[in-house]
Amino acid sequence: MQLSMKIDKSFGAFTLSVDFTVSGDRIGIFGTSGSGKSTLVSILAGLVKPDSGEVALDGDNLFSSVKGINRRPEQRRIAMVFQQHSLFPHLNVRNNLLYGYKRCPAEYRTIDFDTLVAVLKLDGFLERGVTNLSGGEKQRVALGRAILANPRLLLMDEPLSALDDSLRFQIIPYLKSVSEQFGIPYLFISHSLVEMRLMADTVLAFEKGVLVEQTSSEQLARNRMGQSFSGYINLLKLGCPTAESGLFAYPWGTSKLLLSVGSDRKASMAELSSKDIILFKQHPEAISARNLLECTVRSLFNSGGKIGVELECAGNTLIAEIVQDAVNELCITPGSTIYAAAKASAFRMLPN
Amino acid sequence: MFLDTSDIQAIWLTIRLASIVTAILLVVGTPVAWWLARSRSRWKGPISATVALPLVLPPSVLGFYLLLAMGPNGPLGHLTSALGIGALPFTFWGLVLASVFYSLPFMVQPLQNAFESIGDRPMEVAATLGASPLDTFFTVALPMALPGYLTASILTFAHTVGEFGVVLMIGGNIPGATRVASVQIYDHVEALEYAQAHRMAAVMLIFSFIVLLALYAWRPNARNLLRRG
Repeated sequence: MQLSMKIDKSFGAFTLSVDFTVSGDRIGIFGTSGSGKSTLVSILAGLVKPDSGEVALDGDNLFSSVKGINRRPEQRRIAMVFQQHSLFPHLNVRNNLLYGYKRCPAEYRTIDFDTLVAVLKLDGFLERGVTNLSGGEKQRVALGRAILANPRLLLMDEPLSALDDSLRFQIIPYLKSVSEQFGIPYLFISHSLVEMRLMADTVLAFEKGVLVEQTSSEQLARNRMGQSFSGYINLLKLGCPTAESGLFAYPWGTSKLLLSVGSDRKASMAELSSKDIILFKQHPEAISARNLLECTVRSLFNSGGKIGVELECAGNTLIAEIVQDAVNELCITPGSTIYAAAKASAFRMLPN
Repeated sequence: MFLDTSDIQAIWLTIRLASIVTAILLVVGTPVAWWLARSRSRWKGPISATVALPLVLPPSVLGFYLLLAMGPNGPLGHLTSALGIGALPFTFWGLVLASVFYSLPFMVQPLQNAFESIGDRPMEVAATLGASPLDTFFTVALPMALPGYLTASILTFAHTVGEFGVVLMIGGNIPGATRVASVQIYDHVEALEYAQAHRMAAVMLIFSFIVLLALYAWRPNARNLLRRG
């Protein structure tokens, strides 16, 4: 998918002015509220008309003020999943799902109903009214409804923000299936750096109506580490745990990590902030932190006045955040060996 | 018998009038309400005010202007003459037309409220799923506004049944053609037929009570709609 947008749109004092071309199937749109990201996707879907400019998707002109083109939303084949599920309350789950499917020209119908129902695990409640579903179920139905419209592009406008934390991470695998199982390119809109890394490859970052960065989601997270209250969040893929001294021992690469939180013998994902890692130049003989890993420094980077240290630990990558004085005192250079410590309580499990 | 033939004739005429007016207003009121709910035009204010006029105008004022408009020298009178229908005043269809104007806000305002409460989002979702504006209206807006339609229909029907001033101005008092229940009661009182007036009045009272009871049972928050009316 290739998308190019060169548009201007003003609402009172706010102006969105962007000019970019982006290619890929998993695109992220990142920004805080008021950055213009929702306006941008509304323009792309045809729900908001720009003042001037041009919007083209795979060479197809959707809007052009010069050529006098403004394709109606229903002619664009761009489906959308909104922050609130916005299901039709007068239709049951099945008819909500089929709403876009019935209106999709037969030649574009590549995703069929039964496959979608199986992938999104919706088969248990097809005949139920949508008002009786839980928040996560509603969002899955909304996602399914958008996918079944067989769009050429799917816009997901903060689809997780109305959900609580545990549900959020339960929905992510379903959202990922959009591109993995159904091959639909998408734009994922969010203000969360973690969600960006889970959902997007290339990210466009917006601030006050202007595109400020176009980079990979990983690079964006590193660039924003110094400004972020929670630092850089290391996402760790953990194996099945065993009990050890009242803690959970998770295999992690060629090593293991001791966590004070855990789930019942299932492989999991955990978060560890770059701020919660302490570096030692030499092996400390005894420390209270339960995790001490011998690492090799791969690189150093500056982010908002803080120094990010990219470490290779047990076959995995870990980012630690320190100040410049610490870099000097520890004599950290790429290739040097260093010890990284993290308390067992510093990890946060992501729900499965 | 509880009611005599002329009473039953008046009641039947009233029901016929109210049903036809409600049916016409469902068709006419829907696009007006939809436009008022969705438009950001500078004409929205003047149109809203025009639609609401019958709420505040004395029925005699409305009746007077409609009488002039429908008369042989009025624009509507010219039109009906040209179409070969003849003059509308003092006919049943003249009464229907007058009632359509008189009950317009009772149809439009609840529908407008219903459409406004749906908001833009369901329409936007439907559009991104490939539905045209007309398709969206019939498959999303209309079903979601159904409770509003029920309220609007009940209010319009009941309000038309309760008309008196406009009926007298436009319809006069022709048995079987324009003498509706409210006028029939007036006639009974004029003729000092209090027993018959009592019976007709009781029928109207019970009818109105049942209609309102049904409305409240269906929508407990209907009070706001009635207050606006």
